[in-house]
Order: sequence, then C-alpha cells, then structure tokens
Amino acid sequence: MNNVQKRLMMAGYAGLPFGEFSQCVAGSVGVLGVPSEVDSGPRVGASLAPDALRRMSQQLGIDLPANGRDLGNLDLSGDWPGVLTQLVTQMVDDDIVPVVLGGASDVASAVLQALPDLPVVAAMPLARGDVAARPENTIWVGLNGGQPADVWDQISQRTMAWRTARQLDEGHTDFSGMPECAVLWIDISVIDLGHAAGAVGLNPGGMKPETLVSVIGAMACSWQAIVITGLAPARDTRGMSELAAIETLNAALRNG
Amino acid sequence: MGDLAQIQFDTIPSFLGVPVGDLEDLMPGQVAMAGYFCDNLDRPTAGQRYLARQLRYVSRPGKAPTNAIDLGDVNVFPLERDKHFSAVISQCEAVLGTGARMILVGGDSSGLKALGIAARKVTGADVPVVSVTGGITDNPSKTQPIILSVDLQELAGIWMSQPRRLTGLSPAQMIAQIDATPGNVVAAAIFGLAPALDNRGSTETRAALAILQAVAERLEKGAP
Repeated sequence: MNNVQKRLMMAGYAGLPFGEFSQCVAGSVGVLGVPSEVDSGPRVGASLAPDALRRMSQQLGIDLPANGRDLGNLDLSGDWPGVLTQLVTQMVDDDIVPVVLGGASDVASAVLQALPDLPVVAAMPLARGDVAARPENTIWVGLNGGQPADVWDQISQRTMAWRTARQLDEGHTDFSGMPECAVLWIDISVIDLGHAAGAVGLNPGGMKPETLVSVIGAMACSWQAIVITGLAPARDTRGMSELAAIETLNAALRNG
Repeated sequence: MGDLAQIQFDTIPSFLGVPVGDLEDLMPGQVAMAGYFCDNLDRPTAGQRYLARQLRYVSRPGKAPTNAIDLGDVNVFPLERDKHFSAVISQCEAVLGTGARMILVGGDSSGLKALGIAARKVTGADVPVVSVTGGITDNPSKTQPIILSVDLQELAGIWMSQPRRLTGLSPAQMIAQIDATPGNVVAAAIFGLAPALDNRGSTETRAALAILQAVAERLEKGAP
C-alpha cells in the first residue's frame, strides 16, 4: 500500500483526522460534508462533491492551514437543514469554524440561517434575494450580467459592494466596507465553465479559478463559517473545479 | 551507424523526429537527447517516467535542430539506488565526454542530480544548475557552462490533464525563460510531468514537446 492509499484510509479532508464535534477545540475548524443534490436542471452531481474534495485534497497531499477534524458527511434523512443549522450554531458558539462542503445551495441556506446577523461574502454568478434581504449588507463577488431586477434594485438601494468577474480580472479587487467577521459562501458556478467545468450552473464569462483564489485570499476578514456549494465533480474529468475549491478554501483559511 | 541501419531506425519514433543514433555517432557540439525512465527516487510521482515515450509518440520531423540526435533511453536500475546513480552518471559522462550537449528527458528530478555529477566529472569543476523558473543568484557570463533545469511541475494547472496547482507558468513563458537564461548551456533536464497516456498527446504533452524543442534549440546555440 502506498502513502496516498494509506492517507486515504486514515484521514479526512486535507489530512485532517476524522472525528466528532466534541473533539474539536476552540480556534480549530470542523469540516462537514453535506451531500445534498440539486433538484432540477441537467447539471446534477453536487452530492458527489464532499467525497471528491476529500479524495482530491489527499491525492495532492494538501494540508489545511488550520487544525481541526473532519466530521464526515451529514445524514440527509429527516430534517437535515435543521440539524445542520443547529450544528453550525453550536460550532460557532464554541469558537470552531465550520467548513461545510456541499452539496447544493440549500446547504448554504441552512448555514446562513444559523448566523442571521452576520454579513456574507458571496462568490456567485447570480445574486439571491434571500441573501440580499439579510440585515447586514452582502459583498458580492463575480456577479454576471443576468441579475434578477428586483434583487438588483435591493443591492443598489442598500449600496452593497459588488464586482463582476471582468472587474476582478482587471484588478478591481478592493471592496469598501469589508466587515471584520463574515460568512463566506462560494458557489463554484462563479467560475467560468471554460476554466473549470465541474459546476452545476453555466456561467460563461465567469471568474478564472486563480482570480477567485487571489480575491478571497486577499480579504482580511475573520470567517465565522465557510460553505462551498455547486461543485459537480463528475463534470470535470481534469479536476480543475475541485482544485479551485480546495485552493480557495486554503486561501480563505490562511488569511481569515 | 550505416545508412542501412539508419533506414531501419527511421520508423522508430524519436524526440522531435531527429535521427536515432548511438554514442559513437556523437560529435562535439551536437545535441544528444536521451529518455530517463525513472520516477521513484527523487520527488517520486508514478507516471513521470512515461514522458519520454509520450514525447516521441507525438513528435513530428521537420522542426528539430539539424544537429540533434536521439540516443534512446539511458539504462536505469530504479530499485537499486547506488547502482542506478552510478550507471546513469557514467552514461551521461560518456555523452558529455564526446563534447556533445545532453538533454535528459522525463522521469523525476533524480536525473538532474546525475547529470550534474557527470558534468562535474567531465569539466573538472562544479557546473551550476539553473532553473528556468527560479534562476540563480549569480549572473553567469555567456561562457559559463551551466545545466538547465526545466521542471514541468511549474506549469500552470490549465495546461495539465490532471492539474495539481492553479498558478504557474504557461509554456510560452517557460520557453521565454529558456531563451533568456544566461550562460552556456551544456546540458539540460526536463522532468516532473506525468503525462496522460493517450496516443495523440494531450495538452501537457504538446506543451512539453514545445518546451523540449526550445531546450534543444537553446543547447544548439549554447549561449543566448
């Protein structure tokens, strides 16, 4: 058995040991897979993402810049969004950073529900009304030109900060009013399909993977929770999408 | 090698489509390319040893330096470390001893070490290894003999079938560095890539082929 095989058997995401929530200590991270699936559209496969990310991180020999535990995958029977919300609340209360690997966008909705008063940094192609309606302003990363009019009005009226993929590629990466603490939501559909094909959403003209990594990595913000959604690994045989997710997550944890 | 033998070897795929030859065919100043079928000794990643084979498969004649030759693969003993290094060093030494310049293609970075020791034995002095990505702190003169280290793991993920990192150089940037590196290049090693094993050559193999060609052209002229 080679080292990679041993590592695959013994360790969870990025070499973290598998464990229970009770084994997480303050200041560490708790990685939780939530393999929910998108309920419509031709580009399914988000439920494969948590295990694909674990596998890829182990093959690459990547270590997280933080200690912690891999808590495995959440059981999706019953009221799993309620369970997830409760678990995230508990972790944040205990000063543990939940790193939630979705899954579809319903995973992020449950995480955000646990932290209703925190601002959100949302890397996604289309702004969502429920996120825009939160009490604290959201910072939008990588929006494209197809925004719903009502959500766009909401963003404009509240003068929320936003950048398109092109603006970010051109170096306009400064965000005014960056909060000290926030929730980070990365929807992998924010990346251009031409660069990384493993996303549930089509986003021509989206972000380059390396831009996403550098923009998130440059944000001096203390992330209270991080959630990744919209990754459909089976649609990307090269693994660029998983690599983008892993490097973005590492960049966020390194700085935040 | 006689004409009859050369005709027989013409059907064998070779690096950049150059003639296949042996040690006794080498002349001073010639560029000798040899495959390195070993990927378990230094920074091991299974599959790197197949790069030489893949590059030969996708090579087409016509663009290679006229003065280049394909020597086949150096003999390796990857399960016997001491014997392996001794054999590879002596083979590289024999090639460099003819006055030819040598490119070791494929495998892991252990080939570069052997090449460095062989160059020292032939020249009687340390020959600095210059990375195309990192450079060296000293600025060698045009006549300073150097060994060029071309680590294909420095390519950006977008050029790979199975990327391991997002950021890195493009093949064009790497080729520009190969052209611009100061010094008199007497040998080079191209290594670090485990290519996708197909019969057409995927992106990274074609990128590596363009880089091999740039290295061969650089060795042909020695200094920039």
